[in-house]
Amino acid sequence: MPLAVSLLFLVGVIIIAVFAEKLATHDPNRLDVTHRLDAPSHEHPLGTDKTGRDIYSRLLHGSRITILSAFGVVLISALIGIPLGIAAGYFGGLADKVFMRMFDVILAFPSLLLAFVFVAAFGRGITNAVLALGIVYVPMLARLTRSLVLVEKNKAYVEAARSIGYSNAHIMMAEILPNCVDTLAVQMTLDIGYAVLDLASMSFLGLGVQPPTPDWGAMLEDGWIVMTSNPFVALAPGTMIVMTVVALNIFGDGVRSYLDPAQKKLPSIRKYRRPVRDLRK
Amino acid sequence: MADRILQYIVVLIASSAVIFILVRMNPADPVAVILGGRQTNPQTVANIRREFNLDKSYFEQYRAWIGGILRGDFGVSFRYRRPVTALVKDRVPVTAGIVIMSAVISVLVAIPTGIFAALKRNTWIDTGISLIQLLLVACPPFLTSILMIWAITAVAPTFPFVGSYDTFWQFLRRIFLPSLALSFSMIALTSRVTRSCMMDQLQANYRTVAVSKGLPPSAVIFRHCLKNAIIPVITVLGSQSGILIVGSVLVEKVFSLAGLGSVLIDAIKASDYPIVQGVTMLLVFVFMTISAILDIAYCVIDPRIRLT
Repeated sequence: MPLAVSLLFLVGVIIIAVFAEKLATHDPNRLDVTHRLDAPSHEHPLGTDKTGRDIYSRLLHGSRITILSAFGVVLISALIGIPLGIAAGYFGGLADKVFMRMFDVILAFPSLLLAFVFVAAFGRGITNAVLALGIVYVPMLARLTRSLVLVEKNKAYVEAARSIGYSNAHIMMAEILPNCVDTLAVQMTLDIGYAVLDLASMSFLGLGVQPPTPDWGAMLEDGWIVMTSNPFVALAPGTMIVMTVVALNIFGDGVRSYLDPAQKKLPSIRKYRRPVRDLRK
Repeated sequence: MADRILQYIVVLIASSAVIFILVRMNPADPVAVILGGRQTNPQTVANIRREFNLDKSYFEQYRAWIGGILRGDFGVSFRYRRPVTALVKDRVPVTAGIVIMSAVISVLVAIPTGIFAALKRNTWIDTGISLIQLLLVACPPFLTSILMIWAITAVAPTFPFVGSYDTFWQFLRRIFLPSLALSFSMIALTSRVTRSCMMDQLQANYRTVAVSKGLPPSAVIFRHCLKNAIIPVITVLGSQSGILIVGSVLVEKVFSLAGLGSVLIDAIKASDYPIVQGVTMLLVFVFMTISAILDIAYCVIDPRIRLT
């Protein structure tokens, strides 16, 4: 049940992000000084912010940037982290040691702090924030992949594939990876949630999305100081962030327990009664 | 243990190199940052380059930086032309205070909550607690702070969020709300781990023995089960202390406190490298030292653990 609700919510957010133009009632960046900090009305369902922009429309457009960039972060970390993790786990030896020591250095930084330094090096903006967080997320995913590969590579099917004469690349990508993919998918789902939070934090500090682009974190940055005049300037993006992350967490956990046979409930005994009775006849 | 200390030193040096290299990849010209748009001539530029060691090779600069840090000198700020140490010194207590206080709050709230949830497992109390945990984990610290300020202002419009502090008690009162806001996500994480570790221990055989020989329940829970359950919790606290360190940057902005965070963020925006690299190095050092100390500590607490 919670799984279904969270899935429904996530699908809804994605639909909003895709059709933001159609669903929005106003231009998200159009200023209107005569309607500053209006309370919710028929024309502005969530009111307006301090420069008279329609919060509802900004929220819809913001979902696009927030969701896309969170996906971007996880995509980058997966594209780098998963191949590195597979190679490190499969080959072991020196390459493994070198990669793991490199990851130790990345993990020596509190994750957002390293992203801050990346932004200091390459400049502010959403592209650099996404790249930075993508790199910061690599070690976690690579370590997980490596630990999965270490278990898988000793299994019989790998030996079978090797005895047929498949190349190492084929064994890693076509034999081992498909057996790790479900665990990795769960972790990546959870990572999208963390990415939403971290990106929002960076935008809130002015290091991520730059004004006037609408984004949930940037909207919070823009709105929190005038929250007493129209609480929706901060409540609306805040609620969306929290609900999206909660939904991602529930969805990820749900998929994990669905995939984990140890947590699966056994089918009710009643289902088997009739076949057993039929057998006796 | 010697390996762990060696690893600590090696990673610390490597991370200092990473910070140094990254900061120098910024395309902004240091001389332009130092001059800040003022008129200049080649002689001034040459003087500035000499004054800030910019005429030396990167390796020399790195060596000078590390050598300075070991003497407690973090370099000179580009914009203010004052030592970073002097600019930052007054701000350390705020950040340290917030981090320590929120860590204390987290431990004091999370561990009892986790134990309680484990004892009441699969009841509505347990479900309620895990629902709250789910919400708190999803709430970034700055959002918690914003909501807190909004809610308190609605109830008590005259509540003093800003203002100066003179005595230690006033300081503690001033940083209490930011620390509380920061501790929420930490509480959620820690209590979740405490619950699952505690549940494992409550099912262990030694607990059945302890109960059947007639020990009072409190002794079984606190002296037997908690002792075994606490080690993974300490690990989580160590690895998540980074959340508190970075989180303090976020909450101090909302509560307009003068901590290290605002200095760091301003310096990033203005390409003031000496401050960026100094403050980052300081925070990384603190984070790594906490993790290393906790690693060694639970090796001492539990002799079964061998550090690899």
